[in-house]
Amino acid sequence: MMHLRQRRIPDDPGNSGSLNDLSFLLIIFFLVIAGFNINKGFLMNLPDRDRPRVVQTEELLRCSVGADGSLSLEGRPVTEGELSGEIKAMREKFPNMTFLLEIDPETPYDRVVYVIHEIRVLKVENFSFRMSGGEP
Amino acid sequence: MIKLKRKKAKPIIPMSSMSDIGFLLLIFIMLISLMNQRHEVKIEYAEATQIEKTQENDNLEIWIDRNGAISVDGEAMDLRELEGIIVSAITLKPATRVHVIADRNTPYRYVNATVMVLQKLQHRVVSLVVREARR
Repeated sequence: MMHLRQRRIPDDPGNSGSLNDLSFLLIIFFLVIAGFNINKGFLMNLPDRDRPRVVQTEELLRCSVGADGSLSLEGRPVTEGELSGEIKAMREKFPNMTFLLEIDPETPYDRVVYVIHEIRVLKVENFSFRMSGGEP
Repeated sequence: MIKLKRKKAKPIIPMSSMSDIGFLLLIFIMLISLMNQRHEVKIEYAEATQIEKTQENDNLEIWIDRNGAISVDGEAMDLRELEGIIVSAITLKPATRVHVIADRNTPYRYVNATVMVLQKLQHRVVSLVVREARR
């Protein structure tokens, strides 16, 4: 009887090739998660309480936000569309115009954010805000 | 003369160390993200389309929920305590950026109270944090 030598089975090192992919996917995941913590919004310069700024009344546009979020310009109720139109018109007339926002104490924060956003979009440089009955 | 032909070995790039490097990087990034972990308060963010990045290297986040409750780093506090926190943060790192993160339905008087504290401390710059709205 012929004795056939058994073929040598190579040592199985274990397939670790997919671990690379797995670890790099996890790295990407954690990098993305870390990016979620970045704050975005509006950077506001608060005025000095001791040194009130002098503004010419004709260059001043007063806007009020009511407790229900309603908008009014110089005491006249306006819609969101009218607000941006009026600001644009005023800015064309007075490029250094000042926008004063008076906010009712009960106004929801998102309405305040809305007006600030409009101001930023329309690139109004001089912007001041205060709570109704409070200091500017 | 016998010509000996030497068998050339094929060049192999060892890839086995890649998984080690990958896992070391993974551990590093996991630790960094744990260090940067922030205590979030459950709020509904106000939204806007055109916003800017206000994050700095040193940041102080003041969270205001819809009932006006103020918290910093997961600790609830009143305005007096908040003042102390702001003072100590700015004293340690003067370039600290103060962020106000308020719920969209928070009545403005609560946000104003925080802004007043900053004004009192002569801190000029504040970041009003909002979420980027989908256009």
